[in-house]
Amino acid sequence: MKSKLVVGILILILAACQKETISMGTGESQTFYVDSNGASMRVLVEGNLISHVFLIFVHGGPGSSSLPYNTEYISQHLENKYGIVYLDQRNAGASQGNFNGSGLNLTQMTTDLRNIILVIKKRYGDDSRIFLLGHSFGGLLTASYLTTYYIDGMVNGWLFVDGSHNYPLNDTLTREKLLNTGNEQIYLKKHVKEWQEIVTWCNDHPGNFTLDQSHQMESFAGAAETYIDEVTQIDPVASNMGLALKEQWPLTSMLMNYLYTSNAAFIKDLYKTSFSSQLKRVKVPTLLLFGEYDFTCPLGLGDDIFNRIGTLDVSMGISYKSGHEMMFQDPEFFCREVAGFIELHR
Amino acid sequence: MKSIKIFLSLIFALSAAMGFSQNPDSANLPKKPINIKLCYNSTLIYGGARAGAEFQVKAVSASRIRKSGRESFYVKELLIGPTLSWYHHPGFHDNVYLTICSIWRRTKSTCFFTEFSPEIGYSRTFLGGTTYLVNGSGRVSVEKLAGYNYAFLSIGEGFGYDFSKSKSLPLMICLKINMMAMYPYNSTLYLRPAMEAGFIYKLRDEK
Repeated sequence: MKSKLVVGILILILAACQKETISMGTGESQTFYVDSNGASMRVLVEGNLISHVFLIFVHGGPGSSSLPYNTEYISQHLENKYGIVYLDQRNAGASQGNFNGSGLNLTQMTTDLRNIILVIKKRYGDDSRIFLLGHSFGGLLTASYLTTYYIDGMVNGWLFVDGSHNYPLNDTLTREKLLNTGNEQIYLKKHVKEWQEIVTWCNDHPGNFTLDQSHQMESFAGAAETYIDEVTQIDPVASNMGLALKEQWPLTSMLMNYLYTSNAAFIKDLYKTSFSSQLKRVKVPTLLLFGEYDFTCPLGLGDDIFNRIGTLDVSMGISYKSGHEMMFQDPEFFCREVAGFIELHR
Repeated sequence: MKSIKIFLSLIFALSAAMGFSQNPDSANLPKKPINIKLCYNSTLIYGGARAGAEFQVKAVSASRIRKSGRESFYVKELLIGPTLSWYHHPGFHDNVYLTICSIWRRTKSTCFFTEFSPEIGYSRTFLGGTTYLVNGSGRVSVEKLAGYNYAFLSIGEGFGYDFSKSKSLPLMICLKINMMAMYPYNSTLYLRPAMEAGFIYKLRDEK
């Protein structure tokens, strides 16, 4: 009798886990997973699904999560118009798996992204309009996707936000920007001690950067934007705490995934990766958005894409009060530019 | 499919263990205490349940002299038993885990007790949403009962009150904090704090 009861309860639990009705309303919130080579990637779709327009946030890191993008402002200004897809890449955020470290590489992640787009088309209809938004490392991943699957024609637009498609060029531009801005700020007697350390380091390291030096520059770049008066400063802990509770973030999963992925072996391959020479394959309309004070991914990267991409339908927008996190530092500009671009190309 | 069979086998094994007292052979065994535990199991803010049995392996009565000169008496017990637990984290996963638990419990003469309990076992998660599989040719299908198997470890510290000593009720209440670990989770370790609060029913007390 007891064993029947236990099994009965278990069957009810399991049935509840998998039951879902796909509805297409204006204020939807749906979670599903996409299995790909040992990883189950979590996909949260929120907003107006009647639009049949889906904007996929491809997060940075690697190893962070798309969940922090799901802010109140983005809910009110983008989710009301489109379906916003918050995707957690493999070994990141709420994505799950067993021994899958061997699949953690850019080629597999590019295949994963294609699989996720296929699932969105299958789930919401082939007439769904797909826009890819790559932020930071997501820029590299979306560049990889668009230069690999360029004949698929499944994507209707590329939004490149404070991203990087060429890590060696990225390092050169970051050093250049740190050096130039640092000297200006020292002249203006602002944060002299901090800038002096950065400028000295940059003068001592002119090029041919090692991975450690690249990481050091990334660390300087993150700190540098906090020394600029014009940049809107955000407190990530304070701004995410409420969101984490409301959206039921799996915090320990996000932390453990981040610790693993940010130190994974494929990081060594990434820092030499470049898609500049392949950009002529990209024919989809493209919007490049950069923060004027983004030292991590300077806007010179946008110039490189602008000059090399295989479409004339490319434009660039610059936020003058943001650094590397435009969607949080200048959300009005970000949402206005994103919505304007989608309306033009949906 | 294989993992589901293993999982169901473990469930039946636990059920058999919980029905231990009804086994006719048990009459030949020493009459040691058996407890049944039922708890609310919460991981951060996500609810669940926990049920298990505790079989006493040994018990020692002891006393010690306090600084004040008063002598305090206590009972130290070692209990072992299976526990089946579950929590539900919406949109993330449901986790069902079956463990063997060792409990070192120390009950004072005031009827309050503290305990320390390491657990080892098996965890099966069920992903918190429909799971799609895409094959090499781009064909999309839905995967049933998608989730993962993990080795499971947990360490817990708790306290409670034993009503059987003060009011002759065969009941204890307990509150415990556990830190659970699952492996291999995305090639690394998954940690998660949990809290349990509930009752321990003394199915058979000391003879």
